[in-house]
Amino acid sequence: MTRKGKNAVRLTLLNAGFILLCLVILVPVLYALSISFSGQGAALSGELSLLPKDPTLENYRAILFDKPFLLWLKNSLLLSAGTIALSMLCAVPAAYAASRWRFAGRRGMLRALLVLNAFPQVLSMFALFRVLRLTGTLNTHGGLVMIYAGSMCVFAIWNMKGYFDTIPKEIEEASKIDGANDFQMIVRIVLPLARPAIIVTCVMVLITVWNEYLFATTFLLDSRSYSLAGGLYQLQSNDYSRNWSVFTAASMLASLPLLLIFFKIQKYMVSGLTAGGVKE
Amino acid sequence: MEQKRRWKPWFYCLPALLLILTVIVFPIAYTGWISLTNMNLYHWTDYEVIGFGNYARALFKFDSGFLSALATTLVWTALNMVIQIGLGFLIALGLNAPGLRLKRVYKTLLMVPWAVPAYISILLWRVGMFNTEFGILNKLLSVLGFAKVDFLAGNGIAFLSCMALNLWMALPFMISTIDGALQSVDGSLYESATLDGAGFWRRTWSITVPAIRPIIAPAAVMTTFITFKQFDIIYLLTQQRGYMTGATLNTVITYAHQNAFASNNYGLSSAVSMLLFVIIILFSILTNRSLRED
Amino acid sequence: MKKLTALLLAAALCFAALAGCSQPTSQGSDAPSSKPTQGANPTEVLKDPVTVTVWHDGDEGIMQTITDQVNAQLADDQITVVFEKKTDTPNQLKLYGSDAANAPDMYFYAHDVLGTFVAMDILAPLSDVVDSSILADHLAMTVEAGQIGGTQYLLPVYFETLVFLYNKALWEGDIPGTTEELYDYMAAHTDAAAGTYAVVNQHTNAYNVSPFINGFGGYVIDENGKPGLNDPKTIEAATYNQKFGALQADGDYNTVTTLFNEGKAAAIIGGPWLVSGIEAAGIDYGIASLSDIKLPNGNGLAPFSGIQGAGVLKVALAEKKDAIAKVLTAMAAPEVGVDLANKSGCAPANNKSYDDPQVAGNEMIAVIQKTASTARPMPNIPEMNAMWGPAEAMLTAINKNGADPAQAADEAQAAAEQAIADMK
Repeated sequence: MTRKGKNAVRLTLLNAGFILLCLVILVPVLYALSISFSGQGAALSGELSLLPKDPTLENYRAILFDKPFLLWLKNSLLLSAGTIALSMLCAVPAAYAASRWRFAGRRGMLRALLVLNAFPQVLSMFALFRVLRLTGTLNTHGGLVMIYAGSMCVFAIWNMKGYFDTIPKEIEEASKIDGANDFQMIVRIVLPLARPAIIVTCVMVLITVWNEYLFATTFLLDSRSYSLAGGLYQLQSNDYSRNWSVFTAASMLASLPLLLIFFKIQKYMVSGLTAGGVKE
Repeated sequence: MEQKRRWKPWFYCLPALLLILTVIVFPIAYTGWISLTNMNLYHWTDYEVIGFGNYARALFKFDSGFLSALATTLVWTALNMVIQIGLGFLIALGLNAPGLRLKRVYKTLLMVPWAVPAYISILLWRVGMFNTEFGILNKLLSVLGFAKVDFLAGNGIAFLSCMALNLWMALPFMISTIDGALQSVDGSLYESATLDGAGFWRRTWSITVPAIRPIIAPAAVMTTFITFKQFDIIYLLTQQRGYMTGATLNTVITYAHQNAFASNNYGLSSAVSMLLFVIIILFSILTNRSLRED
Repeated sequence: MKKLTALLLAAALCFAALAGCSQPTSQGSDAPSSKPTQGANPTEVLKDPVTVTVWHDGDEGIMQTITDQVNAQLADDQITVVFEKKTDTPNQLKLYGSDAANAPDMYFYAHDVLGTFVAMDILAPLSDVVDSSILADHLAMTVEAGQIGGTQYLLPVYFETLVFLYNKALWEGDIPGTTEELYDYMAAHTDAAAGTYAVVNQHTNAYNVSPFINGFGGYVIDENGKPGLNDPKTIEAATYNQKFGALQADGDYNTVTTLFNEGKAAAIIGGPWLVSGIEAAGIDYGIASLSDIKLPNGNGLAPFSGIQGAGVLKVALAEKKDAIAKVLTAMAAPEVGVDLANKSGCAPANNKSYDDPQVAGNEMIAVIQKTASTARPMPNIPEMNAMWGPAEAMLTAINKNGADPAQAADEAQAAAEQAIADMK
């Protein structure tokens, strides 16, 4: 067999492998998608099939208009935006300092942060409740934003510090000669250069907020102020036997925004997640 | 000026440290304080400091059941990480094969599980995949003429089921990380190796792997922590109240939750949490050796 | 200096961002009405509109019925009652129960968590709020279930218990009079491979296996807080239940409910809470009392009963005592029971509700009332809270993993005793 023929065979096999892999990985999603378009009754015990039975949009109508889905979506977006803003405002200067200056206590701080990150927050519900009560932020989105940002802060600092390390100092020194102060320099030089890391860190924060349901349902008192994950959790926590198809429709809708964001920023994800290690 | 220089970095870190102090350090300290009190159902608001009595009792929670939970956790973490990195590496390698024109399509499809909120993923799998009556896996088995399998009943099979779900949820991140790392490897390294007559796998092993190792290390360490701390998958799949499936699988976190938190004795459960924290710190020190920080 | 300013500015921004999102987000539940404004003249308080908030984790339809009834009665007093669904209400009350700013004014839940709340000292005795005469017409069983140490904390509104629900189109012949006949019917009409079942039950849930446990004379926990999981009678019951469990599909609530609603199971052991789903699925169903199905020892099956009712949070008394008293009085009225019975098939706690001809003729309620003669109210001591987990673990081991009942019972008993010891 010629070299070219061999290559063609290899590529065909590779393509076949990937098609199979994608199919296997997508089974749960296709299943949910199919149920979400199915009419009542086909919901749970239907036959083995990935095609919807009695196709209908009723489930989507039900979740969008009978439940406060759009309100939850708005809350999720608000919480995400707030968390991203707060965590980045806190983490960027810290990551910059940890990357640029060798100061006493720096190593100790970075390590301590990593260790603190290891404490499972699910064990400290009651203490977090106290924090929110003391700061008067119980039952507010602000309180949740604080908790989310605090729990993602360590990851954000570490991830961005790694990327800042790869930006040559010379670029900054040049702009310093031009008379820019630190703040201007970070905003004008460092942040644009570190855009991939910033974007990826933001996405990781976004995913965390998008997923979180336990704190949202515990620390907010009005279900109308819940996030999407919290609202869907409350909707389904005990009894999904009656509205499984509505739930699958909701889960498809809840995944859509993140999926769109992934498409948009795919090329940044690659460099941002990994460039942190490139320095060595 | 000298004074200012010394304090400047800390000013930069101040907002982050304040936030971490409030949201992470304070709760740990507060848990530590509660662990010294007799806060329980009968002293809900009028609790008082009783010293280290709770720790003496908490130590009994770290019994043979805990040891087996610790073993399960270690096996769980190790297996998940090895398979995740191994599979992630192979898939990323395939994605970067020259001439693969549909690469972007495959990659996008492989990222889909990442977009599904975790709680929804777990429920979808519990009902849509694993359920004995409605799950796709069992429908498939019965179409093929096999008997039904209860994927969450026994410890062994439940462990594998939980792992399958965990892989499904975590692989996209790993693929994405390794894929990025592969693209950053200097192509000229390969050319000289090809001239030397090294085959594909040989090149992969001796050039690619060493080149990407430091790049994926931070992501791998973060994922290791997440896997170690994983609570939702095992809890929601097998032991949620009213939905126990028969598996008695426990990680250290679910074990602590089951044994210390059911009794509403906050003093005691706080002591258990603090001891657990010490164990996790020890574990993280061991792991951190692999993460070199300049 | 400039740099310092910039930094402080950044820090200030952080906290401004935080503070910016800090206004309370709830719209209505936390409205000013829940806290009388500073300037309000005390004599005018009653004339101001008052909202009484009630947390629940139950069926929205049932709560709506109660809301409508109570609000109609109290329209002239400008008192509005609002039911808010809180997933896992008992755990939420552990956090919020003593927090005057955020706690609800009342809660609505089954009586088995009552002891826990009373131990936590977050509830006010009803006698602090209203005259006990509002309970004069209530069934004795429901009143007693709302008492801890002889003090009334819960206003019983309706009660429920397990019944035998069957699909008239699928069930062949009469409902068997003994568990042995029932088993024979199940053995003949179950095809697990095809996914069709004669009877389904949540056989890993202590509440749903209680008809057997109580019928055999066993117990989950006695009134002194002693667990009875390895009592010989409890073990006997669990052993006897094992062969039924083997023919009942997976014991998960949603699985068994769906099997029945989709016509794959001919009968289900469940409660009135299933009825709205069954009716929505368009199934022509019949109801039989479990008391009529006799165990080999001659006793009828004896399920647990749950008394659903409302309790008052201590922290709410300072500002809303009078309004809460009116709400309680309104909830105790027979009309609430009549509406609940006719709209949702709930058996009213107020005996007077049964004077209504429609209630008296309601099949579900007749069956629940009949079952009440053998049913046992769930224990309401604080220790009960620690029992569900070990009891479920025991039944799961026996019914799903084929564990030896005596051994599983010993392990569960030890776990339960440990959990109870851990409480103090």
